Amino acid sequence: MIFQPAALALALLLASSLNALGLAVAGLFALRMLRHWHPDIGSEAQIALERRTHLVSTLVVLSLLLSLPMLALFTHTADAMAPFFAGAMCAVGSLKANAWGLPALAVMLVGFFLAAAWLVLHRLDTRGWDQPLLLAKYRLLLLLAPLALAQAALLWLYFGGLKAEVITSCCGSLFGPAATGTLAELSALPEAIARPLFFLTLALTLAAGATLLVRGRLGRAFGVLAGLNFVVALAAIVAFIAPHIYEQPHHHCPFCLLQAEHGYAGWLLYPLLFLGTAAGLGAGLAAGVRAQSLHNEAPRLAAALARIAVAALASFGAAVSFYLWRSNLVM
Amino acid sequence: MIELVGVGKTFNPGRDNEFHAVREVSLSIEAGRVTALRGPSGSGKTTLLGLIGGLTRPSVGRLRLHGRDISALPERFLTALRRDTFGFVFQQFQLIRDLSVLDNVMLPAVPTGRPHADIRARALRLLDEVGLGRRAAARVQWLSGGEAQRAAIARALINDPPVILADEPTAHLDSALSRQILEILAELRRCGRTLVIASHDPLVFEMDLVERVVDLRDGRVLA
Repeated sequence: MIFQPAALALALLLASSLNALGLAVAGLFALRMLRHWHPDIGSEAQIALERRTHLVSTLVVLSLLLSLPMLALFTHTADAMAPFFAGAMCAVGSLKANAWGLPALAVMLVGFFLAAAWLVLHRLDTRGWDQPLLLAKYRLLLLLAPLALAQAALLWLYFGGLKAEVITSCCGSLFGPAATGTLAELSALPEAIARPLFFLTLALTLAAGATLLVRGRLGRAFGVLAGLNFVVALAAIVAFIAPHIYEQPHHHCPFCLLQAEHGYAGWLLYPLLFLGTAAGLGAGLAAGVRAQSLHNEAPRLAAALARIAVAALASFGAAVSFYLWRSNLVM
Repeated sequence: MIELVGVGKTFNPGRDNEFHAVREVSLSIEAGRVTALRGPSGSGKTTLLGLIGGLTRPSVGRLRLHGRDISALPERFLTALRRDTFGFVFQQFQLIRDLSVLDNVMLPAVPTGRPHADIRARALRLLDEVGLGRRAAARVQWLSGGEAQRAAIARALINDPPVILADEPTAHLDSALSRQILEILAELRRCGRTLVIASHDPLVFEMDLVERVVDLRDGRVLA
């Protein structure tokens, strides 16, 4: 029962609303705090603000931890709803059943990485006796709070606006040969270019991660490369990895990978890619922190995140290599 | 070493029973010296001692330790600061009943992760120094007032803190026992520790122990 699309949609609406509420409260506090923050003054108002930051930060942590699994849950729900819409074959059909599905997914995607970045900043900040990242953390919150509100609004509009009689289009309209736009261009990217580019970017990212782990250098470069690798990997999935898994040269959909008939390959690839990217970006962020009170803690957290990122991205590369090796498709 | 700038503490702010225990106290406590906070009951001595030691947070003002602002320090750091920097001697001893004297003395060192044998050896040495070596195995409820306060001093020293905060350390003791306790405190000063003593016991001020007296009344420092 709890895995029924309707129950999952309700869970998503509830979670996104709670997330938006928590972050809205925190965002209002962030506005007040950034306007009235005077750490050199020991006024009653300043002391009260300093104390309240601990409470608000806890609220934000809970809200963000709630929001992190929502991306996976939303994708799964969209996939599970596909049989209800005429024309839908996978999550794409469900997401295109009205105008709000794809924007909701895009906002959730951005929110996922921003939430991960905020959690890394918070983790570091609470390890410094003088909380050196407090202001940076609350400035980022001013970005996260409207995003959470937009996400909740889009989810309400999307689920509230779904109509069973709507005839939607399948993934071929977005990723097929007849499609137009950026995603269609990605689909048309020749494997001869996409494949070496993918493995080169992944290799460079892993090399930077290894350098950070072994020598404690290239931290920021690793963060940038992890971000770049994410974009290239998504493009590669559309361009040639998905067709090899489907063993069909014109089937480029990155969402059909989540389905049972394709061995749930997406549920192996995407979590590794997202985890590796989030940890890699976090490692880059932590490595870039120069606060005196974090001179031990920042490199330690950067290394811990780099370990996770390298392990996840290497596993992602290995899984992709396995699917390509097993494929009988010659493009 | 410890600097207070315009520090105040208000209990139950904004309510009918709002109470200003400490008001606008600015004070510098120098390292290696003995400072006494003197004043009648209710003058704010204990609250001020609690503020200095991080047992309570100020409602207003700044507290600095070695130049670092500790007024709004996150709890994680405040706990470490209390454990490593301050040793507390309380008026009511605050020993844990049904535990032995040795266990009471060892207890504050347990969260530090030091080897148990090291903690035990130091606790026994401290108990010897305060003249309680033979009472190590006794339960604390069997101790006399003077013995209990000496056990409390040993406990305050277990983590080798540079600062000892003593709240009315002679309050429940007769003159002879009070002198014993003050001798121990004088010895701590000779070892280079900083002492802050809250007291209104004349004996504390008669002895050649206190180097600076801060008079308090109604939560304010008297000029």
